[in-house]
Amino acid sequence: MSEIEDKIDRFSFVERVTHWLAALSFLYAALTGLSLWSHRLYWLAPVFGGGETVQAWHPWGGLLFALTLGYMFRNWAGQMRLDREDRRWLRQAHRYAAHDDSGLPEAGRFNAGQKVLFWVQSVTTLLLLGSGVILWWPHSMTQGLRLTAILVHPVMAIVSIGAIIVHIYMGTAAIPEAFRGMTQGWVRSGWAAAHHPKWFREISKR
Amino acid sequence: MSRTPTVAKLIDTTTCIGCKACEVACQEWNDHEFTMSGLGGDYQTQPDLTDSFWNLIKFNEESRDDGQLSWLMAKYQCMHCLDPGCVRACPAPGAIVILDNGIVDFNQDNCIGCGYCITGCPFDVPRLSPQTNKVYKCTLCSDRTVVGLEPACIKACPTNCLTFGTRNDLLEQAESRAQELQADGVTQAGVYNPSGVGGTNVIYVLAQADRPEAYGLPRDPRISWAVWFWKGPLKWLGNVVLLGGVLGTLLHYLRYGPRRYQDVRD
Repeated sequence: MSEIEDKIDRFSFVERVTHWLAALSFLYAALTGLSLWSHRLYWLAPVFGGGETVQAWHPWGGLLFALTLGYMFRNWAGQMRLDREDRRWLRQAHRYAAHDDSGLPEAGRFNAGQKVLFWVQSVTTLLLLGSGVILWWPHSMTQGLRLTAILVHPVMAIVSIGAIIVHIYMGTAAIPEAFRGMTQGWVRSGWAAAHHPKWFREISKR
Repeated sequence: MSRTPTVAKLIDTTTCIGCKACEVACQEWNDHEFTMSGLGGDYQTQPDLTDSFWNLIKFNEESRDDGQLSWLMAKYQCMHCLDPGCVRACPAPGAIVILDNGIVDFNQDNCIGCGYCITGCPFDVPRLSPQTNKVYKCTLCSDRTVVGLEPACIKACPTNCLTFGTRNDLLEQAESRAQELQADGVTQAGVYNPSGVGGTNVIYVLAQADRPEAYGLPRDPRISWAVWFWKGPLKWLGNVVLLGGVLGTLLHYLRYGPRRYQDVRD
């Protein structure tokens, strides 16, 4: 195969822009949020301009992330449905983690782990947005709503950040070349055949 | 440890005549703008506390069983709890401080205006100023007590229904006053010093201590379990998940390394 044939488009320009806008706004919202999570992490607040700046801008960062994720949802929700194969894959996820792929169903464009990340982010973001609005205007809310929000917001943030830690690890150190797919937009055909064989066969037929 | 005694304010509602001198003194000492009184047809100057109105005599009119009207007036302000919910909830170090003498004081220089103290407070006292985006409440005149003066409201009280002193002295005084009232036939008289918040440094003698709600005081104020859970177990759970995530992925890399082509089927 020639060098040119070897390159396969993985993520379109729009997908990449959306992803990195989401990544940056997430990082900002997560770090500013963590600065207010614990007194021991308050040193993060001066890094982002001080407590008052963090308090004023964290909601906007979160809102930008929610909007970006909403757009991502529109583009990707159709491809993220978990089918029977995916559920079988998830039951064997511990094998995938140990790099033992024998008996693991073949992945399409997104494997079941990526799909789960997508749904986790969709649900947590919706709840973070709802509880975030309550925390944004505490004085216009009832005490019951405020008490709900101070629990829902951090619980969802913990789940969301926990999932993203794994996501960043998978996209950088754990799977070589995956990162280039989300930056330059292409992967080598060998990579596609190895990591997403079902997807590779589909696009090869075209 | 502390050699500074805990200070307190005693409010004897049975000798309060509702004159509002304490409200005026509070406004004057704290240099608050004049606020027009509402004309609500009762004896309460303002509907509620605001960010520049920290001390309100709540007024409640009830008809008694014998057909007479009963006027209940109770001064309302920050209770200076021994276990303050606002302190638990506040994310900004140094924004809410507990002074050596027990006063719970807001330091607006460190306040970031998040309003978590409003959620943490079981008495609904802190108020966010839309102008400065900072939270304000009664300071128990920490700027007066530090130089040995009594709080402005107490200085202004004409009937001595307000007393300033050490917490231990005032608790004793409150108990003996309640007993005196009971001996006089006010059978329900008692002391309001709710234990759910560790006790308060603003202590009341109520003629109807069995019904604090009638005075606009919560019956059994407690820091909500949600606040406790948020700042207790949830914090640890969060730390475990976040640190565990970072350490877990690192360990995974060291144990299994990156995925390679030959790892994938065939």
